[in-house]
Amino acid sequence: MSSANLIRVALGAYLLIFFSYLLGPLVVMSLTAFNSASFPAVSPWACFSYEWFEVLFNDKHIRDGIYYSVVIGIGTVILSVSMGLAASIVLTQVWPKLRSTYYTMIIAPILIPGVVLGISTLVFWDRVGAFLGVSDGSLLHGLFHNGIFLTILGQSTFIASYTMLVFVARLQRFDTDLTEAALDLGATHTQAFRKVLLPFMRPAIASASVLAFLASFENYNTTTFTILEYKTLTTVLAQKVRLGINPSISSLAFIIIVLTIFAALAFEAANRNKDRKLAAAQGRGVTQKSGILPSFLTGNPAAVVLVLLAFMVIVMVGTAQRYSPEACKIAVREAKQIEIQKRIDALKETRRQKEDAKAAQQPSNAAPATPNNSSAFGNVFAPGNLSGDAPEQKVDEPEPQSGTGAFGNVFAPDNLSSD
Amino acid sequence: MKKPMIFSQFFKNNGAVMGSALIGLVAFWLIFLIILPQLSMLDYSFRYNLPPAEVGGPKDVYTLSNYEHLIYGSDSSHQTYNTVDLKVFMRTILAAMLVTIFNIFLCYPLAYFLGQSKGSGFVRLLVVLLIIPYWINEILRAFALRIIFGDSGLLNEALMFLHLTSAPIDFIRQDIALYAGLGYAYILLMLFPMYNVIESLDRNQIEAARDMGASWLHIHRRIVIPYAKPGIVSGATMVFMLSAGALAAPQILGGPSSLWFTQLVYQWFNDSLNWQQGAAYAIVLLVSTIVIVLTVMRVFKVNMGDIGK
Repeated sequence: MSSANLIRVALGAYLLIFFSYLLGPLVVMSLTAFNSASFPAVSPWACFSYEWFEVLFNDKHIRDGIYYSVVIGIGTVILSVSMGLAASIVLTQVWPKLRSTYYTMIIAPILIPGVVLGISTLVFWDRVGAFLGVSDGSLLHGLFHNGIFLTILGQSTFIASYTMLVFVARLQRFDTDLTEAALDLGATHTQAFRKVLLPFMRPAIASASVLAFLASFENYNTTTFTILEYKTLTTVLAQKVRLGINPSISSLAFIIIVLTIFAALAFEAANRNKDRKLAAAQGRGVTQKSGILPSFLTGNPAAVVLVLLAFMVIVMVGTAQRYSPEACKIAVREAKQIEIQKRIDALKETRRQKEDAKAAQQPSNAAPATPNNSSAFGNVFAPGNLSGDAPEQKVDEPEPQSGTGAFGNVFAPDNLSSD
Repeated sequence: MKKPMIFSQFFKNNGAVMGSALIGLVAFWLIFLIILPQLSMLDYSFRYNLPPAEVGGPKDVYTLSNYEHLIYGSDSSHQTYNTVDLKVFMRTILAAMLVTIFNIFLCYPLAYFLGQSKGSGFVRLLVVLLIIPYWINEILRAFALRIIFGDSGLLNEALMFLHLTSAPIDFIRQDIALYAGLGYAYILLMLFPMYNVIESLDRNQIEAARDMGASWLHIHRRIVIPYAKPGIVSGATMVFMLSAGALAAPQILGGPSSLWFTQLVYQWFNDSLNWQQGAAYAIVLLVSTIVIVLTVMRVFKVNMGDIGK
């Protein structure tokens, strides 16, 4: 049994490592959203604060970015879902010899690097404009150099492949006899498509749309080339992160993470509920307990967690209105100043000791005829230090301005700017 | 390639309206979004970067100079070869391969564990936990790693707290952050194809092998891995292509002195405004990654049809 235990421990450790690699960075990032320090970090922890959410909500670039991301997302969903659906239907009917070539061609965009897709879209539509001879300022020229139009096309190129895969999986279970029957009964092809195939494909269309929207929303590589003068959320974020990181991005990430968890839990809860109902319908279900909990919560941990999470978010939003970290921030600032002071003192102390040691060595080391030497050192390090031979007095003295300035410049600006 | 006979059959099956709608959509996708853009990029990469007035003029001829630039560098440089760009290229390809191999080893045990333990609540929880980071923006994931790997990041703080190091380690400049970020970004694209394939493996096969006395290693080498091969190759293909073509992670996590090949492409386009040169570099990236992927697929005898399953 010990070997079985060993395997279990190894598996547990492995799962722990895997999931900390996967989720740890997200947790850390979420925590930094609540630290008042101006640089995203968990340690040193300054104050619990909601201020970065406020910074985020007041950021015009991010709001514009979200708007354009949504517009592009909707366009991409429409285009890629219809192309993917058409491609998957054609795949079921294409001449067998052509099938693998055709499949390779429509699956290829997934494997083409996003950068290449972006460039090729940009270059191609520029060339189309040139070929058609459209002049600057005309409608078509505007269209072919419009970031939103190009981004929708560029993203749809590969997102349609994703949606196609979703449709192919669903189409494999479609009974073509149904369409045949509809046609035999006098339906036109369009009617048969609308009344038979489309209702069957509806779940796949829904999931493909969600997939396409999310893929479009988070795309960066293609978008950064095709977006031109506009900005989507991802390009705004990339620019912000490259220019210098700040915790308002963490707060955005936190919001996205919470939304994702909500969606995942809701999906899981709905699935379990469906499973349970199915089981109940088949007579295998457990007898309904009449508890305080509403029926959809019993035996459905995902739903319970969902409700708890919703409660937590409400509490957070509620406290955010009242909570003020000002007192804590002042305390942190004072603590920081004391810390800086201490460091300056410590540095001074060590420097003084060094100089003392040097001064002590000087006479024995160097030629005695150079008394200027010691003053040269004194000028560099601390003027007037050697003139007074009372070290105790030095500590009690108020800070010499020059010293604070020199070290203050090293430590202070970053630290104090957070205030 | 398509003969009229097939077309007529197709229209008979689908009707005139639906048939032309389907063909129209697919043709638009294939021709205007996939084939022609790639061809025009290829064409562009063989041209000089001319001012707009001279485009189409006598100077607008085909040239290999954009590709020569990658290999030999500009005329003004004194080196025989463009060592800077070639080094970046080699580094990109090799690092993408390493990231892929690392991901295979990291994901295989989990894919096996998830695929073979069916239905328990714990496994379902794990799958939900896996899906969550999947939908977090690539930029934000890179940002999260930057917080951890930064000079005053969590990792350095922890190492210093434990007295494992006295001064902060510069993970960013040493590219550790970049490799961790690339592995992190696409790890689920490795996991899910593997998981899907292993899930469909009949448990009885493993049981039978175990009953006959096969060792644990033997079971994996002879049964699970051959069965999961399409999933592994499919995942590896995706991770390799995406890592080699990654732009966000190198931009955010890469050190200031080391570049990723896509960053060179980006610079030609957005900083130097030399689209032709950028297109040539993009073509080099595309062709070399595709050649590598096809070679690997040939070696491991995996079909294109297995990709994306």
